[in-house]
Amino acid sequence: MVQTKKQKYLFLAFCLVPTFILFAIFTLYPLFSGLYYSFFEWSGSAADKDFVGFSNYIKLFNDEIFPSTILHDYFLVVTKVIGIMILAIFFAVALTQLRIKEAPFYRVIFFFPNIMSVVVIGILWMFIYNPGLGLVNSGLEMIGLEEWARPWLGDEEWALPSLVLPSVWAGIGLFMLLLIGGISNVPKSYYEAAEIDGASEWQQFWKITMPLVWPQIKVSILYIVITTLNGSFIIVQVMTQGGPNNATHVMGSYLYQQAFKQFNFGYGATIGVVILIISLITVLILQFFMRREKVEY
Amino acid sequence: MKHIRNFIVRTGIRIPLIAWAVIVLYPIIWMIIGSFKNNAEIYKDPWGLPETFSFQNFVTAWNEFNIDISVFNSLIVTVLGIFITLILAIPTAYALERIRFKGSGALFTLYISAMMIPMVLGWIPLFFLLMKLNLLDSIIGLSLVYAMSQLPFSIFILTSFMNSIPKELEEAAAIDGMSSYGILLKIVTPLSTTAIITVSIMNAIQFWNEYFMALIFLQSEQKYTLALAIDFISNETQYTNAWGALFASLTIAIIPVIILYAIFQRRITKGMTEGALKG
Repeated sequence: MVQTKKQKYLFLAFCLVPTFILFAIFTLYPLFSGLYYSFFEWSGSAADKDFVGFSNYIKLFNDEIFPSTILHDYFLVVTKVIGIMILAIFFAVALTQLRIKEAPFYRVIFFFPNIMSVVVIGILWMFIYNPGLGLVNSGLEMIGLEEWARPWLGDEEWALPSLVLPSVWAGIGLFMLLLIGGISNVPKSYYEAAEIDGASEWQQFWKITMPLVWPQIKVSILYIVITTLNGSFIIVQVMTQGGPNNATHVMGSYLYQQAFKQFNFGYGATIGVVILIISLITVLILQFFMRREKVEY
Repeated sequence: MKHIRNFIVRTGIRIPLIAWAVIVLYPIIWMIIGSFKNNAEIYKDPWGLPETFSFQNFVTAWNEFNIDISVFNSLIVTVLGIFITLILAIPTAYALERIRFKGSGALFTLYISAMMIPMVLGWIPLFFLLMKLNLLDSIIGLSLVYAMSQLPFSIFILTSFMNSIPKELEEAAAIDGMSSYGILLKIVTPLSTTAIITVSIMNAIQFWNEYFMALIFLQSEQKYTLALAIDFISNETQYTNAWGALFASLTIAIIPVIILYAIFQRRITKGMTEGALKG
């Protein structure tokens, strides 16, 4: 059957237009509209929406809390990237290079936290950190380090670092699998050749594995950075709600507090715009620094 | 010599592997066990085994903490969300993959880049938009928002799968006089079942687990999804001391995920790694 042009375009419209209209209304419009809102002072009711130009942005730069929320976000980004990548690379290499019979078991188990709800993860770890009942403090007591025990999530200094472990715990599996995928694509003959040439396993790791799985490592780092900058506030909201004394507020949780708790919607939108800009810049810079000649042997 | 060294290395490497497996499993198993303990036991020996297994916590959570309603709400949101996502994603994925038209590349890129944009900025205007449409504090509204949030990922997985379907079947059907609509509905959609299932499982887990959008877009307790209800119980435990009910509701939340993972482990890991590779 030969379709007429008209029929083809009708079909095309049938396929694309309804979806695109909804996408435009519920995804594109809110993003642009958020940018627009950032120039208003607005508590939510239609009557008192005042155009204030850039004053929300000026206020944000002079905000006492906001700069620290950026630092907190980057603290989580850096510690998560380091923690997840070291463990994920280690586990990926261990599970592929050394013939371990029960490797599939570890793969299945390590991945599971990746599909758990942040609420479940957060509440579980609140228990682990619980000052009286928690595993961490009772563990420290058991090995005689009582003086290290503290109310982890209630301690201004330790609350933010305490959020890293749950995120690493929940994140490793996915990146381990990504890296396993990369490593299993490396031809076995490379390792055999290296072995004949007398290269140690350590040398093989640095000279063969690392360069050849670099694309996967790069993707993993980028993915951790993006998901942390765009989503770290979820675990913060569940576990500490930004407290104690704002010590764990990240940009997103601060936005939530400003917009949906204190009804400064214009100011909240300003924070949102800054989050968008910061994450885009971060990703661009990272991509620039991680570009590396593709290695082929 | 080499064999002995290998043996030692392999045994040594198992220690961190086993340790991490324990770190992952122990809290989860402990949580499930905790849901069978009474409060006295939880206080006396929080990390030990219960003396008697009792389902009382589940009954309490179900009847007194609105878990029955929130399980129902979560189920509706999940099913409706999956359904809306598929209706919107399948035709678009097909058109983007199979029909040549100007701007198809740009449209695909637009959808895919939406996966990387922090949506938190959009949530403020979305809140007021839903309010205007009477979809705020509404399960249907939330399903729609969820569907939109997973649309880019779903389109991405579906297009890459449709790319692997041979064109001949569609061509043969067209020669037999089947319309494009018929081909999409009766040929392409059934052939894409694998990808449709993968996408739906991923979306199911996502929607079942989701917390933050529900927190913003739902308000009354009667509308709470499971994640919200659990968060609510958790925040109240300092006054109610209802630890047992909290564990029971956490267990209720995690069991469907465990079951899906047990059945579809390969699909889930594949779907997630593919999604990450693109992001």
